[in-house]
Parts: sequence; structure tokens; C-alpha cells
Amino acid sequence: MVAYQHPAGLNPLQRFRQAGAILRGTSRAANSGWYQSALELDLQLHLRVDGNRLDSFLYDARSKQWSAGPAIQEEFATDLTLVPAFAAEVIACAQKTGTSAIGVVLHIADEFATSELKPELDNPGALAELRTTVENDPKAVLDDSSVSATESSWRLIPYPAAGSEAIATTVCISRHWSGFLDELRKIGEEKNFPLVTRAISAPLTCLLALPDLKTTELTRLLIAVLPYPRFTLLAFFNEHGDLRLLRTLQHRGQRRPTNLRHAASTTAAALELSDPEVFLFTIGEQADPQLAADLQLVFPAASIHGIDWSGTPYKLSSTGLGCPEPMIATALSITPDSPLASAHTFTVLRGDGWAVQDFIPVAKEASEVYPTRGEMKLLRSARYARLAFASVGLLALAWTMLQMVDMIRKPEWAFDAKDGKSQQQRLAFLATERARIDHWDNLLEDRSKAWASMELVGGLFPDNSGFLVKSFSHIIRTDSAPGQAKVGFVREWKITGLAREEALERLAILNTRDGMSAIFNGVATVTGNTSFRSDLPNRSLVVNVRTLENSGFRQGPIDELARLDESTYPFSFDLSIQQRFESADPMAVTSAKAP
Amino acid sequence: MFYRQSIVLFGFVLPFVVCAAIVGGGVAFKAKAAASFQQKQALYKSSETNRIGALGIEAQVSKKRPHVERWISQIEKETANSITSHLKEIGDLLPAKEFQQTAFERPTGATGFASVSAQNSSQVKLAFRGTFRSMQKAFIELETRMPQLQLQDLKIDPSSSSTSTLNFQVTYTAWEK
Repeated sequence: MVAYQHPAGLNPLQRFRQAGAILRGTSRAANSGWYQSALELDLQLHLRVDGNRLDSFLYDARSKQWSAGPAIQEEFATDLTLVPAFAAEVIACAQKTGTSAIGVVLHIADEFATSELKPELDNPGALAELRTTVENDPKAVLDDSSVSATESSWRLIPYPAAGSEAIATTVCISRHWSGFLDELRKIGEEKNFPLVTRAISAPLTCLLALPDLKTTELTRLLIAVLPYPRFTLLAFFNEHGDLRLLRTLQHRGQRRPTNLRHAASTTAAALELSDPEVFLFTIGEQADPQLAADLQLVFPAASIHGIDWSGTPYKLSSTGLGCPEPMIATALSITPDSPLASAHTFTVLRGDGWAVQDFIPVAKEASEVYPTRGEMKLLRSARYARLAFASVGLLALAWTMLQMVDMIRKPEWAFDAKDGKSQQQRLAFLATERARIDHWDNLLEDRSKAWASMELVGGLFPDNSGFLVKSFSHIIRTDSAPGQAKVGFVREWKITGLAREEALERLAILNTRDGMSAIFNGVATVTGNTSFRSDLPNRSLVVNVRTLENSGFRQGPIDELARLDESTYPFSFDLSIQQRFESADPMAVTSAKAP
Repeated sequence: MFYRQSIVLFGFVLPFVVCAAIVGGGVAFKAKAAASFQQKQALYKSSETNRIGALGIEAQVSKKRPHVERWISQIEKETANSITSHLKEIGDLLPAKEFQQTAFERPTGATGFASVSAQNSSQVKLAFRGTFRSMQKAFIELETRMPQLQLQDLKIDPSSSSTSTLNFQVTYTAWEK
């Protein structure tokens, strides 16, 4: 078995690792039995020691059945080497019944002593604080300064009755069985099987049966007499059923206390009790009849009830038990329906657990080695949280990887900036080349060609149409447009000549824009020279024909040979054509130099 | 309650911090990669646009490239020499009586097209005597062989010596490299 260290000596990381080791190495996270009270577990082993005999009973809370338990010996308290075999037997019994934990309840009935609190601590409001203090530092609250916390254990028992001289008393039990219980728990931890122990005072437990015994209305004071082999406990209650005093009479080797009559009478006198109702418990063996006689002498007017358990919920004969305490301890959750049960004393003794206080609990240092139930739950949650965080982390990584793979698979990822630069350079180079080509394409356009202009003459004046052309002048004038990318220009033709009668109609046609446009388009079609196209939006055509009488004209017959004879032409003409190309025209001249 | 703080610290806080670091790291890494990827995407897109644009231009340019090479080689030659040699060749093709070169001048200064373009150019003034059709043939031959010639002005007058021939005065602007 791993030896766990006290967490106070560990750093935070070591504490966490130890908690993780406990989570993995023990069933503390899954088995709630580790953190339950012995009296809450489904299977309980009730051991009872009263000085004369040792009893062992198994109680199955699920079926409410009692059976004989593994035999306990007095030597177990002193010879711890005997304990493992006993513990193994206990665990085997538990496993046989299918339970995952067993509570070992030790009913200590062989000793009971009371000690008074320091008088200055009689503060009812500090009862809870006193309860804790008496467990951890009994010297601080007890009137007796010679007490030894290592040898004995003290527990507080309140006196709820109004008018009590003290708010509480303390019950002392030795730690005789401490080693046995520690060993049992240790073996349980080694076997990873919860062996939960609890050492309770049998007389205090037995007192809880009183409301089941006194079922009638409370009219008188009550005295409960609990005779055990080594001592007799006297419990005094007021007329409301509240505890006023616990007094122990040690037998000192006798069968019964020798001072019972004296003690009972002096205590009754001190508490001003008269004609009480006395309940004489029968615990274990048959009741000593002398006890009842002695009490009757002290309280002649009192009614003394000898307890017959057969008439109560604790029928010992039906269970095989020889003592009532185990049955009473397992029935704490059942509140009897009697006036005494509703008394404040019994309410707190049962409800607040005063009657079943653990006199030999696990040492604080030992219990602190293990995480609490809440911490185990937290640790278990942390395990799931780590899984969740790890899953989220893995998902995030997977998501990132998938996104990366998705990106890497695209051609853009492998794209080299150098390739982009070379493409850009190639585009720039081609753009420059295109610009150069466009530049030369523009400059070398057929915008002004001599042969095409000569073809225009043929278009204007067809053969044998009655014209004699005397001069032809063609000139190009460019626009003045500094700073513009393209510059428009004007082509101008000036033609002079002579005309006969039959040519006048032709001259009239030439003098119209439509007529001239038709001729230009005809030239464009014949020559393939698009500069003569007049149907483009950025071109305009202006025509002017001036016809005059030929002063040298002589009337006479006209023959073929007279074609060049100017005197045979009655008219002279002067034709002026202007064709304008705007700067937006495709044939406008690029002003920049070649790139 | 010795363990609670350690459990909370190492069981919840630390795993959360590690998880947050992984998630945050992943997100940051992805964001950085995405930013780089977006940059690459933009470059790639731009490169693709350039590539497609270059292909388009290449398709246009490749058709004209042989012509341009021819033009450039033509332009690179000295204009006067080219005109002289071409006219000589043209003259050999035509009847001598119908095509006679009478003048060749190289005026200084830039007029007409040359005055509005920054492109290098020179001007050539020519004079011929010939028949209308032969001269038109000569011009079409010359202007086809030398597309850099842009007609600046043209005058045609009757010849005083012969009724069948005409006097031609022509001025060209010749683009040069």
C-alpha cells in the first residue's frame, strides 16, 4: 500500500499528485461508504463490551435482519496482530452480503465516568464551541487539570433542563480500543474496502430508549437507572422530561453499587426530587432484584418500573441480541410517538447526535491525509474537465491542421512571389510592346497617301463627264493642340477646272455634303483607304463649288479632239473640299514619341 | 480541505490555461497563416490577371509582330537613301516618258504632321513629270514600300512642254526611329 503523506508537508503540485494517486489507487471517489457514518451504512457490525462479555452482531439495514458477527476477543485491544484475521473475516462477511462498505460500531459498556466543566464555562450559547473544544483540548474546559487526552476521550452531554446547575457535563471513556479500531481502518484502507468505525457509549445510547418505555403523559420527575456490570448510571429528568443530571456509581468489583441508596437519596435531595417515577433498565443479564428494593427504600412513594423489553420496539428475544443498545443505535431515525420523545433533551440527544458521539474517532492528522468527499468529487470533476479541455485542445489543433491543409492544398499557397513578379514584368513588357506597336500602327496609318488622293480625282471627275481639270492641290494642316495625346488634322483639296453644260449637274452634286460623302465612301471602298470614310463620328466634310462663266469660251461644234480645248468649255469652276479629323478619330496623330 | 486549492489549480485552472493557450495559439497561428495566405491569394490573383492579360496582349501582339519588325527595319533605314533607291526601282518598272523625277529636296524644319508629334521625322520634297496613271502607280508603289511616308502636300499642274504629262510636286513627312 502506498504510504500517503500529510498534505500539510507537500507543495501544491505534490498535493495534487497525491490526490490523483488516491483517486486512482482507492475507491474513495466511487464508494461513498468511505465518507459515511458507520451507523448510516447498509451493513453494520455491532461489537459490545461490558466487562463481562463481548458480543458481536451483524445488522443488514436493507433487510433489517440481525445475525451473529465474527467473534471479538478482549485480546484484540492489546494484541494488534490478531486484528488482521478478524478484519479479513469482517470484510468477507460484507462481501458475502454484496455491500461495498461496513460500519463497525463499538458499544462501550464497561466504563463511564463524568467530569464537570469549569464553572466559568456555564454559557448555554457556547455549547457548540465547547463540544468541539472538549474533543480536541479537554484540559481547556475540564475542571480537573490532571486529565490526559492521550489516554481518554471526553464528550460533552448537555443538561437542557431549565434550572440546572450546569449547562452540561462531560463523559469520559478510555482509549483502550483505539489501537484495535485504528488497525481495522488501516486494514480496510489496505484492502480498499471501507471499514468505518464508531465507538459510542452504550449507556448514552440506551438512554434514547426511555421515550419508548415511558409512553404516558409526563406528570412526575423521572429517574432512569441503567445497571451495567461495572457501574450503574443514574439519569435524573425534570417533570418536562429534560435531563438535569447524570451520575455514575462504580461497582468496584461488586455486583451492584454499594452506595446506591445513599447516592440516590442525596442526589434527589440536592435536586429537590420527590416521588419520582423510576425506570430500572434490564441490560444484559437478569436484573438484580436488590436494586429495585434499594430504590424503593429511597423513594417509598415512587413507582419503580422494571423494564421488560418484550413490550417495546426493541424485542431482544426476536433478534437474538442480549442487549438493547445495538437496536437502539440502528433506530435513531425513528422518533417514538410519546410525550417524552418530544422533550427537548431527547430531541437534541437523538437529532444532534449527542447520544451517539464517536469517542474514538479517526485521528485528525490521519483523516486529513485523504481528500474530503467534496474534494474527491472535485477531483473527479477535474478529471472530466481535463478530458474536456484536452478534447477542446485537440479539436482546436485538428481544426487548425485541417484549415492549414485546406490552405496548403490550394495553388495559391505554393505560389512564389517571384513568379508573380516575372508575370508582372512580362505583362509590362508586352504592354510596352503593344504600346510601341499601337504607336507605330497609328503613325503608319494610311491617313494621307498621294495615290489615294489621285484616285479621288477620278471619283470626282469621271472620264467624258464634261470636265477639264486644270490644277490640283492637296495639303494637310494639323490642329494646334499642345499637351494632347492625339492631334486632329484637316485635309484640304483645291481643284480648278472647266466644265461643259453636261457637267453642271455633276458639279451640283459635288457641291452637297451627301454627294461628296458618297464619292469619298466610294474612294474608300475602291482603295481600301479608310481615311476617306465619311460615316465615322469624329470626321466632317465641307465642300464648296464655285462656278463661273469661262471668258475664253467660243461657241462652236465640239468634237473628240476638242477635249483639251479650253474655249469649248463655257464654265469654269473652283472646287474646295475640307475633311476634318477630330483628335478622337482613330486616325488622329499620336503626339508622343515611340515608347 | 488541504487539497481543494491544488485540485482547482492543477485540475481546472492549469488545464484551462493550457487549453486556452492551445486554442489561442491555434487561432493565432491560423490567423497568421490566413493573413499570409490572403496575401498570397492577392498576389496569385494579380499574377493570374497579369498572366491572362499577357496572354491576351500576346495574342494581339503576335499577329502584328512580323509587320512591326518589318516597319522598324524600314524606319531604321535612312529616308533619303530609301526613297532614292525605291524610286529608282519604280522608275525601272515604268515607261521613261511617263515617269521622270525632276527634283529631290530635304527641307529643314518640321511642318504638318512632324510639328505635332514628338516622334523623330524628316521631310522630303519631290517633283516629277509624268502621266497621271503612271504617277499614281509610282506613288502607290512608293507609299506601299515605305509606309512611314505621310503625304504633306501634293500639287498637280499641266506640263507646259507636253499635253500628255503633268507636273507633280509632293512633300512627305517620313517617320524615323
